Amino acid sequence: MRTLPIFAALVLTLSGAAGAQVRRPGARQPVPVLTGIDALRADFLARTGSNILYFGVNSAGLGAPARAVLGAQAAWLRRQPAVVVQVEGYGDPGDSRDHALAMGARRAQAVRDYLVLLGVPSAQVALTSWGKTRPGAGRAIVVLVR
Amino acid sequence: MIRFAIFIAALLPAATPALAQTGGPAITVVAVPPLTTPDTGTKGNETLAIAWQATQLIASDLRATSDVMPLPSVQKDYYSFPEVTAPTFTKWRAAGAKALLTGFVQSRADGRLTFGFYAYDTVTGREVARKGFVVAAGDWRRAAHKCAGLAYTAATGEPGVFDTRIAYVAESGAGAARVRRVAVMDSDGFGHNFLTAGETLVLSPRLSPAGDKVAFVSYVAGKPTVIIANIETKDQRPIVAGDALTFAPRFSPDGARLAFSMMLGPNSDIYVASANGGPPIRLTTSPGIDTAPAFSPDGRQILFESDRSGSPQIYVMNVDGSDQRRVSFGGGWYSAPEFSPDGKSIAFARRGSDGLRVGVMGADGSAERVLTSGPNDDSPVWGANSRDLLFQRIGADGRSAIFRLTSAGGAAQKLVTPQDGSDPDWSAQRD
Repeated sequence: MRTLPIFAALVLTLSGAAGAQVRRPGARQPVPVLTGIDALRADFLARTGSNILYFGVNSAGLGAPARAVLGAQAAWLRRQPAVVVQVEGYGDPGDSRDHALAMGARRAQAVRDYLVLLGVPSAQVALTSWGKTRPGAGRAIVVLVR
Repeated sequence: MIRFAIFIAALLPAATPALAQTGGPAITVVAVPPLTTPDTGTKGNETLAIAWQATQLIASDLRATSDVMPLPSVQKDYYSFPEVTAPTFTKWRAAGAKALLTGFVQSRADGRLTFGFYAYDTVTGREVARKGFVVAAGDWRRAAHKCAGLAYTAATGEPGVFDTRIAYVAESGAGAARVRRVAVMDSDGFGHNFLTAGETLVLSPRLSPAGDKVAFVSYVAGKPTVIIANIETKDQRPIVAGDALTFAPRFSPDGARLAFSMMLGPNSDIYVASANGGPPIRLTTSPGIDTAPAFSPDGRQILFESDRSGSPQIYVMNVDGSDQRRVSFGGGWYSAPEFSPDGKSIAFARRGSDGLRVGVMGADGSAERVLTSGPNDDSPVWGANSRDLLFQRIGADGRSAIFRLTSAGGAAQKLVTPQDGSDPDWSAQRD
């Protein structure tokens, strides 16, 4: 009879400890193991900072922040010659449908040209334009295809 | 408050006549008594049933226009077959009709149907037009559309818009998962047909003048590419080989050529190529973005959109690329220019401080008028009569629909489509 409360207390302590262990700050969460293109994408994002480049309205000019990101991307791509990326350009919200397609293509071309200038083989970089057909105005996104 | 209301009431009678004067052209009333048939017996009843449906379709076609108004078709106004070419006029004059349309449907030994139509001026009692068609029994709708066109032309002098086709992009789903399909239908909504399956993004379908082909932008290769598709065979092929980005297709009035935009490096320029393939010919060389080409009805000029002056404006050039000059000077950004089929006007979309709106101007850029209330109206196209327009409107809820309006003014009417619609195109009258 006297052992029961002790046993109960022991169980409580153990379960409390188990709960604390799960909630302990800084604990390593189980990380999903990325393979193939997903792993490459995660690595690309982690090492280059961003895959999105922003442009001024009605402009395909690359600003200093965009050039810095592209420098890191070019270095990464030179180390991974098997990876093919697609630069996807977008137009501005005020553009007409056709003007937005041209502006998206022009932005994608500016990104592609800069990557090639930094030594990335041109065959490694494809481009397309979404114009206004998808949300994402005023930017170009570098997407790892394979 | 009460004083204010009285003030308004006192103003109204003075304001109304001014509004009436600025309204559209006078409406011509047309009497459309039931079509008759010389057939007898059981066959006669069958033909008569088709004749009555065709009569109602003719009246409904005319009712959809802004410049012709049909009197309600009543079955007791039925003419016998001999009376079709010898109608009475006093009754229709008394009812206010300026024009009278009579006709008959006759079944043939081969199972097809003969349609005959006569248009009369009720004041002079003279026949102003007549037309006959032989159609398969299932095609009676087209014969009725042709008849409505005959009445419309007799009343207004312009070709009708009834036996025409509309191509547009049918949209469903939301966000990045939005499905867009090229759809083609008769202008009254019948014969609706999807031309693409929806697995790839499509944009800006354009009908060939003969109505047998559609050019559109497809992302089938991951990037915008102009495709020409045959409506019957569904056979599809790109306008240029290679991996250049192409978009903004438009057929020439004879259907033999296609104008479109192609990216050469960072530069979008306008090219023309044979609709059957062949090397594209470059027409513009400016470092700006030149796009949205549209042929004039005589095929000698091309309107286009260019930002060479700093902001997007409408330009015109000869079909060989010479004599490029600016047309739009009204302030704001102009896009999507389109010649009317009579060559007298240009429809456009204009982005100003009041949003994106659709308007028309003279072929030389004069007498600009904004027609819609916005704030997101785009991509106008003309009907065959050079009076009616279709355009795309994105509502406050973010959904797009196709609307129809008259260049003379008035409220736009929503076109009924099975799904959301955008990027409309409207064919000429079919042969």
